[in-house]
Amino acid sequence: MAENIRTVEHATCTFCGCVCDDMNLTVDLDKHCITKAENACVLGKAWFAEHTIENRPAATIDGREVGVDEAVEEAARILVNARFPIIYGLSDTTCEAQREALAIGDLIHGTIDTTTSVCHGPSGIAFQGVGESTMTLGEVKNRADLVIFWGGNPGEAHPRLFSRYAVTTKGMYIPNGKKDRYIVSVDVRRTQSTPVANLFIQVKPGADFELLWALRALVRGRRLDPSVEERTGVKLDTMKQLVERMKTCRYGVLFFGMGLTMTRGRHFNSGALLALATDLNEFTHFVAKPVRGHGNVTGADNVVSWTTGYPFGVNLSRGYPRFNPGEFTTVDTLSRGDADAALIIASDPAANFPKAAIEHLHRIPVIALDPKATETGKLARVAFCTATYGINVGGTVYRMDDVPITLRPAFESPYPSDQEVLTAIKNRVRELLNKKAKPKEARKAA
Amino acid sequence: MSLTLALRVAPQVPMEAEALTFDRVADLSESDIAALPLLHGNEKAAVGDFFKVSGRANGEVHLEGDLGRVKYLGAGMSRGRLVIHGNAGMHLGSAMIGGEILVKGNAGDWVGPEMLGGRIIITGNAGHMVGSAHRGGTIGMRGGEIIIHGNAGNETGNGMRNGLIAIGGNSGDFTGVNMRAGTIMALGGLGWRSGAGMVRGSIVSMQPAELLPTFSYDCDYRPVYLRLYLLYLRELGMAVEDAWIEGEYRRYSGDSVELNRGEILLLNRQKLS
Ligand code: SF4
Repeated sequence: MAENIRTVEHATCTFCGCVCDDMNLTVDLDKHCITKAENACVLGKAWFAEHTIENRPAATIDGREVGVDEAVEEAARILVNARFPIIYGLSDTTCEAQREALAIGDLIHGTIDTTTSVCHGPSGIAFQGVGESTMTLGEVKNRADLVIFWGGNPGEAHPRLFSRYAVTTKGMYIPNGKKDRYIVSVDVRRTQSTPVANLFIQVKPGADFELLWALRALVRGRRLDPSVEERTGVKLDTMKQLVERMKTCRYGVLFFGMGLTMTRGRHFNSGALLALATDLNEFTHFVAKPVRGHGNVTGADNVVSWTTGYPFGVNLSRGYPRFNPGEFTTVDTLSRGDADAALIIASDPAANFPKAAIEHLHRIPVIALDPKATETGKLARVAFCTATYGINVGGTVYRMDDVPITLRPAFESPYPSDQEVLTAIKNRVRELLNKKAKPKEARKAA
Repeated sequence: MSLTLALRVAPQVPMEAEALTFDRVADLSESDIAALPLLHGNEKAAVGDFFKVSGRANGEVHLEGDLGRVKYLGAGMSRGRLVIHGNAGMHLGSAMIGGEILVKGNAGDWVGPEMLGGRIIITGNAGHMVGSAHRGGTIGMRGGEIIIHGNAGNETGNGMRNGLIAIGGNSGDFTGVNMRAGTIMALGGLGWRSGAGMVRGSIVSMQPAELLPTFSYDCDYRPVYLRLYLLYLRELGMAVEDAWIEGEYRRYSGDSVELNRGEILLLNRQKLS
């Protein structure tokens, strides 16, 4: 092997919530790129292939190239002077960086939110309201004989979920893999995931809650109006057969996606599914799990939860955490014009948030950290180019089943990590706050 | 002359103002009221930084200006009358015990969450979660009345345990979700999935509604208590038609996923004379 080629075994792909940790990477150290990613799916291969060292300034203020220290100073100044600063993003960085962001939020009495609020935030609300019968993906692989995918398309979005854990893989008590499992897919249309299913149930758009509610009624042996067929587009017989199968399986799993959480009904849709899993535990072992998108969005939930007690949408204005999605979630704080400064980490709200929220981002000072050039980076007062987690930076991420996994970076980056930048901002914020004996006077002077 | 607090400096960021309740200001001088604490974003402030205070409370306190960014007005209030001439922010009358709040404008989300008693009247529209439980809580308002002349958002009366919520216009999705008891009257329409998970209680509407399959038709009848409620709402200034008072209602019971002891009453429009 040539001197400038390196191999990294058991590296981790952080593209999606599967966080596959069996990657064998071949790295060209001269060209600063990964030339081969063994075991990666098509998405993972693209993820590893696209990361090279870009020629961008490490830091800018109003688009002007500056040193990292100067940018840190400006970022800290903005945050300390803000009355309603928000911190957002965090799902594509390490838990170590997330901790630093939380520490900043605590110091500045800010509002902390993650991309969870625009994907599985409703599930977070439902977990609190309904509870969660949960598991690890290892259990699914070894035990699950009934796997139901609801409102998601893992075949395209999480390709190795099928082969590593949930469909074709052989497990301790599932020796024949797919042959020992019954797969159900519930969706509003056929997708690339549909062919793996033994049973496909096409529910009318916007009727997931009604179908879940009907299944709950059947599981509990309660009255059900026949109009349910018309409302959901699913035959009552099909529902009854599914319920029978759910009650008699040995180990059932409900995986659910954003087709459920981001359609009308949101947290009640997730809550209905979680309640169905709970109901089924009267008869057999049944669990439910959201299929998470971003590589470390589960880590963000964990870090925010273990730090504040709540998973996202947390406000610290009073010095203690308060959780209220709708009030403290970023789309809302921006759309209403509440926030007066924003620290955005590894996310691009300026590209995908509603218009009112993006317009407000243009009005307030924004600090952005991202390995890539983004719309948010373009409008930011202070922008940092950071090293990519999992490719250039080690640390910890959480798989979608809340299992922590260690990263093995492939090659070094000239850019600082998110953690390094956030630690520097945190330290400077602390110094500035200590100087601010009389906060109001200091702010007026500024 | 009653006590008036007129907004003179608009808050730049959300403000939390539990101090602006009848109980707190009724017996104080103007300067003492001006010194009461507020939270402007993450910064401590005083009432006088934002409001001009004048007069003395004579059973009423008046707040003037657009207070759409001011949260927790009238929170925990137990007596007296708070009149808001303009919009009110979130958490209006949170955990209120008694007295009356009148908003001559619109109110934000979480009007009267976990309220115990008293009355809140909104002449305009209200946001989501009227009279509901806080996130993570299971019990919403336990008593009192919330009267909204306009429309209300989603999850009105989430987890409601007792009391009355009356909405002159439409109520959003999941009205009366997880309701334990009490009465919700949406004189306009009901959104999707009203009464989901309700255990007991009554939801009433004058418009047809698509109900969950876990609700079943019982009978058509004229509930006596409904006449009394409607006459009472008319007394409070709501537009109540005679036909509603005299009319027959279709009764559906549910939610069968829970105890099946709740009811949804829909005016039988076919039998209107
Ligand atoms: S399934 Fe997800 S984590 Fe695994 S290799 Fe593919 S993109 Fe990467």
